[in-house]
Amino acid sequence: MNDQPLILHVDNVYKAYPDQGRMRMILNDVDLKVRQGEFVTLLGPSGCGKSTLLRLILGSELPTKGHIEIAGKPVTGPDRDRGIVYQKYSLFPHMTVLENVVFGLEAEEFGLVSRYVRRAKLAQHRRHNKEKAQEMLDRMSLGSDLNKYPHQLSGGMRQRVAIAQAMIMEPKILLMDEPFGALDDNTRTDMQLFILEQWERTKMTVFFVTHDLVEALFLGSRLIVLSQFYKTAKEDNEGSKIVTDRAIPGGHPKPTSFKNSAELAAMLEDVRRRGLDPDFAQHIHEFDLSHADAYQTVSAAEWGSDQDHDSQKDQRTT
Amino acid sequence: MRNKIWMAIAVALAFTALPAMAKEKYKVAWSIYVGWMPWDYAGHSGVLKKWADKYDIDIELIRMDYIPSVEAYVSEQIDACVMTNMECLDMPAASGIDSTVIIVGDYSNGNDAILTRNDVDIQGLKGKQVSLVELSVSHYLLARCLEKNNIKERDVSLINTSDSDIGPIFISDTSQEVVITWNPIVMEIEQTPGVNKIFTSADIPGEIIDMMVVRSKVMEKSDKLAKALTGAWYEVMDTMSKRGADAEKALAVMANSAGCSTVEFKNQLKTTAMFYNAQAAVDYTRSDELKEKMDLVRQFCFRYGLLGENARSVDVVGIAYPDGSVQGDKSSIGMRYDATFMQLAAEGKL
Amino acid sequence: MGFFKITARPSRAAAWSLSASLFVLCVIAYAYTAHSRHKENPKDKVVPTFSEMWDGFSRTAFEPDRNDEYRLLLDSKASAKRFGLSLAFLVLAVLLGLYMGVFPYLEHLFLRFMLFVDKIPALALLPILFIVFGLGETSKVALILLGVFPTIVLDTYLRAKAIPKQQTIKGFTLAASDFEITYRIVLPQIIPGVLDTIRLNFKAMILFLIAGESLAASAGLGYRIFVVRRYIAMDIIIPYVIWMSVLAFTADALLRLWIEKRYTWRGES
Repeated sequence: MNDQPLILHVDNVYKAYPDQGRMRMILNDVDLKVRQGEFVTLLGPSGCGKSTLLRLILGSELPTKGHIEIAGKPVTGPDRDRGIVYQKYSLFPHMTVLENVVFGLEAEEFGLVSRYVRRAKLAQHRRHNKEKAQEMLDRMSLGSDLNKYPHQLSGGMRQRVAIAQAMIMEPKILLMDEPFGALDDNTRTDMQLFILEQWERTKMTVFFVTHDLVEALFLGSRLIVLSQFYKTAKEDNEGSKIVTDRAIPGGHPKPTSFKNSAELAAMLEDVRRRGLDPDFAQHIHEFDLSHADAYQTVSAAEWGSDQDHDSQKDQRTT
Repeated sequence: MRNKIWMAIAVALAFTALPAMAKEKYKVAWSIYVGWMPWDYAGHSGVLKKWADKYDIDIELIRMDYIPSVEAYVSEQIDACVMTNMECLDMPAASGIDSTVIIVGDYSNGNDAILTRNDVDIQGLKGKQVSLVELSVSHYLLARCLEKNNIKERDVSLINTSDSDIGPIFISDTSQEVVITWNPIVMEIEQTPGVNKIFTSADIPGEIIDMMVVRSKVMEKSDKLAKALTGAWYEVMDTMSKRGADAEKALAVMANSAGCSTVEFKNQLKTTAMFYNAQAAVDYTRSDELKEKMDLVRQFCFRYGLLGENARSVDVVGIAYPDGSVQGDKSSIGMRYDATFMQLAAEGKL
Repeated sequence: MGFFKITARPSRAAAWSLSASLFVLCVIAYAYTAHSRHKENPKDKVVPTFSEMWDGFSRTAFEPDRNDEYRLLLDSKASAKRFGLSLAFLVLAVLLGLYMGVFPYLEHLFLRFMLFVDKIPALALLPILFIVFGLGETSKVALILLGVFPTIVLDTYLRAKAIPKQQTIKGFTLAASDFEITYRIVLPQIIPGVLDTIRLNFKAMILFLIAGESLAASAGLGYRIFVVRRYIAMDIIIPYVIWMSVLAFTADALLRLWIEKRYTWRGES
């Protein structure tokens, strides 16, 4: 059992958007607990609301119902507790690599006005911050590109800088929204190894959204599948639920050879069928919620059992 | 086959063109000002058409803004145009457009005025800001006023203000103390409480003259235009001066075109010394007084560079008078006072 | 020759002579017109010859007038002051547009109003401006601003709106405050584009400047053109027009070069 402190707690979260005059449910009662140091990969068919869930955790959107806590603190908006790496637009195009990475450190120490009022102090801190950023960039083999602007970098380098920019703040959790989705295969593999290296070194908590099954299984210590394809006792279901929440076997981080192993192939087949196949649509009773921290609240109407009534929630832990 | 068609077209064109070619066509421009409103009436009432027919010509009467009309005249787009003696000298004459004055219609006798508020008097003009249309007759009026009262031009500062806005701006902006303009704007401004006229064109009578001018090149070819215009003008003058229903009707038409009431129009006529009588106009045109007044005007024009900034002397533009005398350069006459047609009108020989 | 070849690569010499050709053509056509008009009327003022225009130019530029002033300098200074003042006020337009693009409450407060004001033909309001603001500098600057302020506000607003939302969120995750995001993330990214828009609006500003000066002024490039019109001094008007074009062209080119040099981060992406 894991005795690390709880970092992320998503509890009874619903999210609906207006769509053609009514509210369309995207997330239907999502529950999730993540402990410090976990590398969670979130997978799901397109349109399942992966990015929506990420935005809720990030705080750039708020849930329709339910609540989300980061280290016991409710999420009310994006702040320095969560870092984010997007597929695009993560970097500020008007700043150099170094400036991008230093930005957060400076913003935390100085307000807009105090930057100008406390110039001497700023200069002093700036030297220190720059050293820190430089050290980090050196480690990421970006040391020779400090004064380049983002448009002068390759896609992979840009994402490295974005990761550095987020990591230097040492956020409680690092959110990544398909960060390698736009990269070619070779670069993507490099970046996967890169992020694992960073994880191994810092043991930071990562919440990684991807639509690539192999990537999800290779990177993560824990796999979560969010899907709109499932059945319950109710006739019509709308909005995605977590249909899989399990530890990924084989230790963490995994060797590159894992990508070609039979173990992966078997898991791949299982996850694909249960989570991503619209025709398969497993029943809520069959969800694989085998992770130690997995739990799911379910209404009686969905579960279909007489013993459960509306108010009572079934909490399962395996 | 094709050739025949072209022939037919050419013949047809020739026939349609013939009647137009037979009649000479002239363009005459006028602008709204009390002394020129009779032209509008001449056009409206058919008087002008009658006289044009008499001399077998076509006259197109065009209303324009004042300065653009003189510019069109200078660029030879129109054949005859109303203007003052000053603009005739400094715009066409100075640009080498030889111009003949065929009708001396009136002189401003109070239509141009310097108005002030806060009881600023003539000596009080020193150090004041003056709104006016620079280099216009307003400017001339100011120069004459200062000259007569021994004030230096440098003692006042000028703000060039468009004539279209000078009235409303002066009325609403009470920080302005001095304005110089002409009628009907003078009348509007005068009605504002606390505003006084301190100097008007009545103080310099006969110096600002309103005239009908024909390009001398046009005159050389034929004097029909001059005859028709003069005939029509004095017929309208006759109607206006007779007083009675016809005169009232004519004044009402003019007032309407000028955008004011008949009463207001009559008030403006009071400050306009109209030569209703052709003989009076002839007499003034032949007088030595005219030469004296023109000398004042041309000196002003020269001083302000209006005869061309590089003009070496006031004499660069010659002004010819009915008696054959010439003011300035005899070899470079730009402006000719010609009393012939007014004389014919006086004798009833048109 | 490949005039209508998309892949054509004109040589340097060809490119330069092509650029120059239309200018040369205009000059020749003008010289011919002036020459033939002067043959007919040596005093013609409507189409002055080049030497007359040079004369007119040197008189305004190098000879004091009867008030002991160098007119070209005096006028350029007066106009430049009005232009500069208006430019300074455009800083407020940029700030307002920025705020509207970043803060939803301000967006709702100002957007429709600005869209409406932008449609007002400023020139039609001229008499009102002069009546409200008098004949001084205020009314002239007000006219220029009424003409271009809303355009700049709306352009800045649209540019600020177009900054990806991710950038803002990213800012928050890096501990930046609302104003830090506004001034350190959004503003610097849109500034080059906004400067470009201001640059392209120079022409409109000059137009409004001349309109204002033509109605009421004691000095200024537009003022001079309208005053000397009273004696058809095309020998002054044409050099003035060329002078104004050269000034505007130079200002535009300088600003463009400065933007290119200053904002190197604006790459292809």
